[in-house]
Amino acid sequence: MAILCWSCQEEVTLPLGEKEELVPTIEGYWTDQSVFNEVRLTLSKDYYDSLEVTVIDDAQVSITVASSGRLIPFIFLQGSGLYRPANPQDRAIVGESYQLNVKWKDNVYASEGLMLQPPKVDSVTWNYEEERVFRDEGYYIKVYGQIPFTEDNNYRIKVIENDTLKNGREDYLLFDDTFGLQFFEEGLELGYAFEENDKVRLELFRLNRNAFEYLNQLVNLLYNDGGLFSPPPQNPDTNITVIQGDPEVLGYFVVTPVLSQTVIITDEDD
Amino acid sequence: MSFFRVLTLFFLTSLGYQAFSQERRFISGEVVDASNSEPLVGANVYWEGNSTAGVVSDLDGKFQLEAIDFPNKLVISYVGYEKSVRIISAKEAEKSIRFFLKPDEMSLDEIIIQERRPDEQVKNMEMGKSTVPIETIKNIPALFGEVDLLRSLQLLPGVKSAGEGTTGIFVRGGSADQNLVQLDGAPVYNPSHFFGIFSVFNPDGIKSVDLYKGNMPASFGGRAASLIDVSLREGNNKQIRGEGGIGSISSRLTLDGPLFGKNSTFIVSARRTYADVFLKLSSDENLKNNKLNFHDLSGKLAFVLNDRDKITVSSYQGSDFLGLDEEFGLGWTNWVSSAAWSRVHSEKFFFDLEGYHSRYSYSVEFEDPDNGFEWTNKLSESGLKAIWTFLPDSKTELNWGIHSQYYNFAPVDLEPAPNSAIEEIVTNPKNGLLNNLFISGQYAFSPKLSVEGGLRWGLFSQVGKGVDYLYEGGVPGPDVEVSDTLSYGTLEKMHAYQGLEPRIAFRYLINEQFSVKTAYNRNFQYIQIASNSSAGLPIDRWILSGRYIEPVRSDQISVGLFHNFNQNRWEFSVEGYYKDLDNVIDLRNGAQVLFTDQVETELLAGKGWAYGVEFLLRKNVGKTTGWLAYTWSRTWRKIDGVSRNEAYNPRFDRPNDLTLVLNHEFSPSWSAGLTFVYTTGQAVSYPVGSYEVDNQSVPLYSDSRNLDRFPNYNRMDASVTWKNADKGRKWRGSWNFSIYNLYGRKNPFAYEFRTIYNDDINFEPSDGEIISAKPGVVMTYLFTFLPSLTYNFQF
Repeated sequence: MAILCWSCQEEVTLPLGEKEELVPTIEGYWTDQSVFNEVRLTLSKDYYDSLEVTVIDDAQVSITVASSGRLIPFIFLQGSGLYRPANPQDRAIVGESYQLNVKWKDNVYASEGLMLQPPKVDSVTWNYEEERVFRDEGYYIKVYGQIPFTEDNNYRIKVIENDTLKNGREDYLLFDDTFGLQFFEEGLELGYAFEENDKVRLELFRLNRNAFEYLNQLVNLLYNDGGLFSPPPQNPDTNITVIQGDPEVLGYFVVTPVLSQTVIITDEDD
Repeated sequence: MSFFRVLTLFFLTSLGYQAFSQERRFISGEVVDASNSEPLVGANVYWEGNSTAGVVSDLDGKFQLEAIDFPNKLVISYVGYEKSVRIISAKEAEKSIRFFLKPDEMSLDEIIIQERRPDEQVKNMEMGKSTVPIETIKNIPALFGEVDLLRSLQLLPGVKSAGEGTTGIFVRGGSADQNLVQLDGAPVYNPSHFFGIFSVFNPDGIKSVDLYKGNMPASFGGRAASLIDVSLREGNNKQIRGEGGIGSISSRLTLDGPLFGKNSTFIVSARRTYADVFLKLSSDENLKNNKLNFHDLSGKLAFVLNDRDKITVSSYQGSDFLGLDEEFGLGWTNWVSSAAWSRVHSEKFFFDLEGYHSRYSYSVEFEDPDNGFEWTNKLSESGLKAIWTFLPDSKTELNWGIHSQYYNFAPVDLEPAPNSAIEEIVTNPKNGLLNNLFISGQYAFSPKLSVEGGLRWGLFSQVGKGVDYLYEGGVPGPDVEVSDTLSYGTLEKMHAYQGLEPRIAFRYLINEQFSVKTAYNRNFQYIQIASNSSAGLPIDRWILSGRYIEPVRSDQISVGLFHNFNQNRWEFSVEGYYKDLDNVIDLRNGAQVLFTDQVETELLAGKGWAYGVEFLLRKNVGKTTGWLAYTWSRTWRKIDGVSRNEAYNPRFDRPNDLTLVLNHEFSPSWSAGLTFVYTTGQAVSYPVGSYEVDNQSVPLYSDSRNLDRFPNYNRMDASVTWKNADKGRKWRGSWNFSIYNLYGRKNPFAYEFRTIYNDDINFEPSDGEIISAKPGVVMTYLFTFLPSLTYNFQF
């Protein structure tokens, strides 16, 4: 602590390199709920450029069902800037493998994923807690459930508070079975102090390992402060492969079941 | 009592005092040796400016001298001792006074001469060896006033620092875990406190430190880059003495003296920080309950059994602890012990036996009713080394011996707290047995040409109890299935490596003051740290060579010119080297190494090489001492899976490195130190763009690692030391005032690439309404213009 008192921070401007060609970024979600099924295609930009990223709207996007070879075409929706299935009824089915196909200019990209069975969420509760170490006082939500799987235990929970996604680097709730999964049965407490009348929506995803690792590496990168204790910064390893064209591509493809639940915090646990 | 009565009393007592002092005609005293309290016979004692009217001390060191007006300066001088001048007041003259004279050899210049022969660098066989006397290290301006052994070594040519304020060192392109830091022959696995800001060595308890930049003698080995050989001081056999200091961060005390008569001695040193004492004074309840401290405790016993045998036993224990609100705690401890027996068989034949045990452990505790745990880990190395030395004639020296080492890296022990939902983690221990045979010899073909050769043979076995995993296709990887698991019993051989490590060096003496040397040296290293950050952490994971991890191999060739001039007052050297490394490791992107039992799936391995030229101009004697060093060097790594499989510079590749270290003694009371450092900035990666994914703006990096550079690093430190003029008193105190980063240079510690909200680098989205957001760069810098004051003492 005494040492930290002697450190200072200030904003600086460094001369940074630039990419000759902007790199396409692909972000695809293929789930069992149509509202989540989307593909976003954008281009990277110069670091100091504060304008919005450029959305790629002229790509051909589809998903292939591995077992049947059936092609599920996507169409670009101008309003949202997203590609969505032409038929909203198309969605992922547990046990099936899917391949994302993207063709843009002379570049062809692909990625695969297996739709896994979702875990079971029994209940979502909340309790008022006094201030603790690292945690303010407030209402804390606990998620109780069962994870009966011995493999592919890679999970993410998203928290949407009053219609706003918590998306800071500290908001990534990613867990696997390194420390066991008993804590899920005994109640996984979310690290947010909510207030009364907060509307909280929770979304639970079960990811393939490569997508889970992508997110882990992304979080590590967001926390990389460029100092001696941080590893050399690297782009997260994408699970998208280049079939043809420019070898650089960013982003990831997720095939996942989604469990979601919305609660409104009241002074007594429902 | 009325004012008048007080005045009367004052005059009466003053007059009485004057009358008394006029009656006393002599002062008496005793002159003794400060080093052993023995009386000095025949010391000259006189009033300043009146040396002809002086007296000499008698057989008991006692004297009587006619008194003159007080106060006055009394001078005590004695051949071979420093002159003492002390102001004597009338009050002091009433009693017998003891004067402690310091032998001349206790002065700084003489100590340096004693530690190194004046022409040693020209005539000896050693290359790439640096010795910095402890007294010199103590005079280098220090961060927070804490004299630091490892930080001082960073000022030598060929030695790089990891960055601002850290004690991690990188020698001739080697990484930090390739340095063997040993204390009295026992390795110290984490030689730093406070996450690397201070090193573990209390300078008061240290006798010497030698740095071998790769050209280790055959009796040493096991690390690829360097040997930092630290020796604890032995106690004196005359009387109890002490020294210590009170500083801004810590205080320290060392006591030494005879133990059971003159044939055995002891020394104990202790140091402790008191940051947590200040935290307790805080009005903030959160800060008040935090803890942050470290301590060191070391001791050494020496027993001279007879003319031929000597035994020493030494031990060091040091711990750090960081505690937050009594719910989170992180602590780590080094405990190093060693014993040595030296026997002189004859004038030509010597035997040394050393045994040691080094243990490093850390513990992380989290007191939480739902997810609490205690995570501990420890590793140890035990060793036994026997060395025989034979000097058949004046031209030849032979050494040979055996060195056995046993490594025990305990399994990860993560114990959930009662009722915690976290589950226990079970891994397997890793053990290794390394047996080395070594022989070395030195022979003078002629007065000009000498050769020193050595050979070390190491047989390393990873042994049980342990487990090996077999993978589909034979190559481990994060996505590769385990095909089989092999379990091994205690000490059962799992996998073995062996290797010859030759060393050879030639020295040609062009004249008495000029020599040329060349050396070749090979080392194998069987343990490494699985980390790819530049600075070490207390929880770094050490790994052993085994089925999938091959030992690091290092080959170094060096050539040097060594020249002394002006009657050996000045030394000049130029050394060039080329080093080749194989099987150095790195980590794959996103590797998790702390809790896995299959660490091999997280590792990448490859090659490295380094080359450079080191210039050193050094002055060891006189009022002004110090050195000017310049190094030009490059360091490379080439590891499949990193930087497009192409060669890249690690962070500590800093081609230009200039260091100036000066110390000047203005008078016996005043001295000053100055340090200037200039180095090329660290090799780092800056983003080449940004992109959006998962609702985040993410910096985009090139696939090539470390193509960018921090700005050049430069810094000047200064210190002034004031010693109370020697008045022959036993207690000798001094004040040291130092300033780190004298001109307040903002050397970057880190650049963070992140979104800045509302033009305020401290604003977080959760703090309130976001008015603006832009991609930015935030620089962190440490220690600008940092003054500190230390009081040091000896008695």
